[in-house]
Amino acid sequence: MRSEQITEELTGVKSADIEAALDPVEADGVYRDSRQCAAAALLSGAAKLLLSPPTPRPKKG
Amino acid sequence: MTAPDGVTDVRRTAETALAWVDAHRAGFTLGEDALAVDGEADRSWKPLGELAQVCVTVSRHTERSDPLHARARALLDFAWRETEEGDLFLRLHRLEPFATYPLEVYATLASAGYRHRAFEEAAAVVARTRGWRLTEQDPTRRLGVLRAEERCGIRRPSPAPEPPLTWLGGLPEPWTFERDAGYALTHVVFHLTDWGDDAAGLPPGLAAYLADWLPPWIDTCLEARKWDLSAELLAVAAVVARPAGDLPPFDAWQVLRAAQRPAGELPLEDRDPPPEEPGAPALPADDEWYFLHHYHSTLMAAFAAVLTCERPAAPPAGTGARHRHGGRGAPR
Amino acid sequence: MEQSGTSTRLQAAVQGLASGVVSALRGGDHPHVVPAGDGAEAGDLALAAVRVLGADALLPGLVRPTPPDPAEVAVFRKAVEAYPPRPDAAPTVRWSHWGMTRALRRLDPSFLPGPSAEPDTGWLEGAGWQYLTHQLAVLAPLAVPGEECAVSALAARRPVDVARGFVRAVRRRDWRQAAGAGRWLTLLPGVPDTVGLEAGLDFVELMGGQDPLVVLQVQAARAARTGAPV
Repeated sequence: MRSEQITEELTGVKSADIEAALDPVEADGVYRDSRQCAAAALLSGAAKLLLSPPTPRPKKG
Repeated sequence: MTAPDGVTDVRRTAETALAWVDAHRAGFTLGEDALAVDGEADRSWKPLGELAQVCVTVSRHTERSDPLHARARALLDFAWRETEEGDLFLRLHRLEPFATYPLEVYATLASAGYRHRAFEEAAAVVARTRGWRLTEQDPTRRLGVLRAEERCGIRRPSPAPEPPLTWLGGLPEPWTFERDAGYALTHVVFHLTDWGDDAAGLPPGLAAYLADWLPPWIDTCLEARKWDLSAELLAVAAVVARPAGDLPPFDAWQVLRAAQRPAGELPLEDRDPPPEEPGAPALPADDEWYFLHHYHSTLMAAFAAVLTCERPAAPPAGTGARHRHGGRGAPR
Repeated sequence: MEQSGTSTRLQAAVQGLASGVVSALRGGDHPHVVPAGDGAEAGDLALAAVRVLGADALLPGLVRPTPPDPAEVAVFRKAVEAYPPRPDAAPTVRWSHWGMTRALRRLDPSFLPGPSAEPDTGWLEGAGWQYLTHQLAVLAPLAVPGEECAVSALAARRPVDVARGFVRAVRRRDWRQAAGAGRWLTLLPGVPDTVGLEAGLDFVELMGGQDPLVVLQVQAARAARTGAPV
């Protein structure tokens, strides 16, 4: 107990810091999907029918 | 008891989602664009085809007396009327004889009994060419076209074509999954099982692979708020769980339900939490952008929910009673 | 999340220590992992870092045929004695400490502490596969070939769940968790072949390899797979 206090005074490392490092919360997930590059795609547009949703964008007019 | 409550909640998802779809029929109308040379098929034929497929599934998996069944049948009638009782397929065929999407959409309606003889005859003439059979396609798409041909009675010369090698069929490392692989694999399962009707259409090896890896795919798609793909994966999970009699992933369903808007629609994806109360900030529901951003997810939610609710009531595998529509659904 | 300056310095010290372990596992030019400190501030920070890295600080000595440096073992022992878990400490803190005492008992026959009973695993009984995998990854130093404990026995009963957690961690780009889970998977019977563990470990190292803690887990996993230094 006493030696722990001395250690904390010397280094500033508290038991709480150590325990936090040993019991970490889960990091947030990071997501990024591969993009499609039209330059490499011979088929487009209708080829995606019934496969993936359309890119939503407003119709002109 | 968690299970019955969970099923009730999932069932409500199907009801509210299909109610939104019904209230937004106008978004599915074919309009002038359907035959126009510069019309976008992804914004006319694709939504209508998806509507038809989901309603075919809903009607097959609900009793005649069920209001959900009646709604699905009414929407199918609506879809068929939009094609002018199939005439538009024939007109489209004269404009784009080598396009596959007319046959794919038509095959869906044909599987529910909506037929147009002249279109089928025209499609069969073109399908006899080597050119049609050699059309280059994504493997998943190819599988869909082959199924559409079967449904329309088109027979390829023997030997029967090899099933195309797909991402799923190759049993890839499951941690390589991402969005496009996800869309591809769900559709492979839909084509192999006739849109969830025939769970036995899934080879046991694929079913075991999916049972192992669907949980982390669903979990991460939900965390990434990719609602449409989450719903498609939940539909696959329902098909995979059916023969084993496993419980549906109710916790995942709860997350999906929380993303559903009060009127029943589900966004494609979003980064914001759903509005807390009805009437909270939302785009005008009749806006076309809003429709295009919601109809696919909403249809997939209804589709997955109906397949999930059907499961516990299904007779045990092997009784044969499950195949109420015969074979792979190809009309004779 | 806010981090104190001390916590940041501690993390840096842990990373430095992990780099040393990786180097030693590779048989490189860094045979002395645990620095021999004697009370100076840097030495105490290093001691805390040893406590955080846990049993892995002595991993080279455990997986290689050459006996460990007695001075290193002495510092490790000091860390074990300086930072015992408080009675209300989280299970991972208690298990990490228990793992250190187990390693020490193997390398230092003179170390015979009082109670050597394992902590309990109640907090993982019936845990969802996501939480299970996260906690196991935190306790990756317990994943040592031929060393059984209640945690490893529990993990062995849930190989598919841990494999699902590995897939989830890679998808979330949580490379530390993925590496820790991957290390467990090398030891568990009944992991589905389709997970592609070898390619998975390579991928995790490729993507997360700038973090020494990730590399350490991947190296430990490879050592467990081949049973030889990597």
